[in-house]
Amino acid sequence: MSTPLPAADTGAPGPAPARTPPGPGRMRRALMFPGLRRAWGRSMSVRIGASLLILICLACALVPVFWPDAPDNFVTAPFAPPSLAHPFGTDDLGRDVFVRVLVGGRLDITIAVCVVALSCLAGTIIGTCAGASRRRWANLAVARLVDALIAFPYMVVILVLVVIVGPNAQVGPVPRGLTAVLIAFLVLGWTFYARLSRAQAMSIRQRDYIVAAEIVGYPRWRIIARHILPGVVPVAAAYAVADAILTMGALSSFAFLGVGVQPPTPEWGAIMYEGRAYLGSAWWITVFPGVLLALTGFALSLLADGLLPDE
Amino acid sequence: MPGANRWLKRLGTDLLQAAAIMLLVALLVFLVIRLIPGNPAQQVLGQRATPRSVAALERELGLDRPLLAQLGSYFGGLLHGNLGHSLVEQGVSVRSLVISGLGVTLAVVLAAVLLSVLIGVPFGLVSALSGKSAVDVGVRGVSVLLLASPPFFIGLLLILVLSLQAHLLPAGGWGSGWPAGLKYLVLPALALSCYLGPIVVRAVRQAALEASRQPYVEVTLARGISPRRVVLRHILPNSLLPLITLIGLNIGWLISGAVVVEVVFALPGLGQVLAQAVTELDYTVIQGVAIVSAFVVVAANLLADVAYSLVDPRIRLAR
Repeated sequence: MSTPLPAADTGAPGPAPARTPPGPGRMRRALMFPGLRRAWGRSMSVRIGASLLILICLACALVPVFWPDAPDNFVTAPFAPPSLAHPFGTDDLGRDVFVRVLVGGRLDITIAVCVVALSCLAGTIIGTCAGASRRRWANLAVARLVDALIAFPYMVVILVLVVIVGPNAQVGPVPRGLTAVLIAFLVLGWTFYARLSRAQAMSIRQRDYIVAAEIVGYPRWRIIARHILPGVVPVAAAYAVADAILTMGALSSFAFLGVGVQPPTPEWGAIMYEGRAYLGSAWWITVFPGVLLALTGFALSLLADGLLPDE
Repeated sequence: MPGANRWLKRLGTDLLQAAAIMLLVALLVFLVIRLIPGNPAQQVLGQRATPRSVAALERELGLDRPLLAQLGSYFGGLLHGNLGHSLVEQGVSVRSLVISGLGVTLAVVLAAVLLSVLIGVPFGLVSALSGKSAVDVGVRGVSVLLLASPPFFIGLLLILVLSLQAHLLPAGGWGSGWPAGLKYLVLPALALSCYLGPIVVRAVRQAALEASRQPYVEVTLARGISPRRVVLRHILPNSLLPLITLIGLNIGWLISGAVVVEVVFALPGLGQVLAQAVTELDYTVIQGVAIVSAFVVVAANLLADVAYSLVDPRIRLAR
């Protein structure tokens, strides 16, 4: 929603890729792996964004392993301002904010990646099948269902689902309190991908090479999987990067509504929510996790901008 | 007007479609609310209530009737604007709760839209017309950074800097009345416009770049019309058009953002009504908020469609 998406892909993926016009065609190449390397060489914003993202992920993954303080240990006096030993200061219980923020980042980034990957997969498949389907009612049913689901503000859906699932339900390895949030993300997440891929699939299915494939007598699933889907994937993938930013922002806002990750599990939004009461005296508890959240989103945006064609 | 007939037809289709979506929305809410485990009457009265009082409350709420009958009276109520009564606060109608919360939320959302347009349009225009200069890079960088920070974080930063350090504006609370209540609206709206503002900047920049490449701009410039006039009279109106659709599409996200921002600033909006209903398991209020917020989104999209077709003759006369 935030990233301006290209109107329509030119993509003729199968038979005749002889000519790649500027614009969407470039984006498609950029999203393939050899193209990623080319994008790295070509675009400054890809270089900065990718490096920043890798740096943040590495820091979240590795630094807590070597850091002397554990995220749940009371290491020193509460409300100690940032210092060399505690770069982000300490919180109201005397825990090291630096290591809590990094450990929290693992959760935020992992969940964002999982949610985006699953919604992208489900939405793209549903949308493509609906758009490419020869049954008009299937196409329309998906479109109307998506319209109705998109009409709900997601915060409202989350709160309703929390009541249904129960705020403390635990399923598998998911941290307590996150189950309802994850279900809500998955209930709503696929809709935008479905809308985008449906539109894309509907424009692709009218191309000559699809008609040719139909005349040759390929089964429908093969036409969808081999000829329509490759043209849909880049559009969905471009939206996925923007979606990751929105997902992380939404995930960290849940603490403010009293749902989501329960204390003492560190998570960026939860740390900020805890620090909010001491904003005037100990700003570091709230500001540092927020800055890291913003930086991660910034890195993702730069990456997305560099992968998209430059007007 | 030759296109008027076609335009009315289009309006009719849009209206029908919106009505269909609203019907589906209401049905979804009705079914989903009934997925909540446990007996609502038991929840309201507490675990130690006698079976007889539970049965009495069930009869009063109509929960003992078959599902289809419940659905019928539910839709009947909706058509009359009747959302039922709060289960927890006796005698308070859901409509009054939702309307008071919605007023605050919509005030924040509308103020944020206004701020975003007022700030975003000039920056987007300047960014587009400055070519690939430092100004363009700066505007784009800042807007990307703002878009990446969630509104509640911006809200907390605003509280920290503008109310706790500089004592310029209140850190929270709500006052009605004009213009005394305005000062409570500024910071929440500013926080929320950090989400919409960058989107506006991007869209205006894109549209202005596109418009400035059209042949008619070259022709106008060649006729000796001043560049300033070309920008204000030709490029600007064309770059404002996409904003209508964009704002309509983003209303849902803005309401979601406002719900969180309201908590940060302790505003008595829809977010607070909903959060309280969730902790008290007040089903009718949850149901009412879900339906009304979805209706607002559908109505905003419809309004955006209609406004767009009114403003842009190419759309008004097409199809």
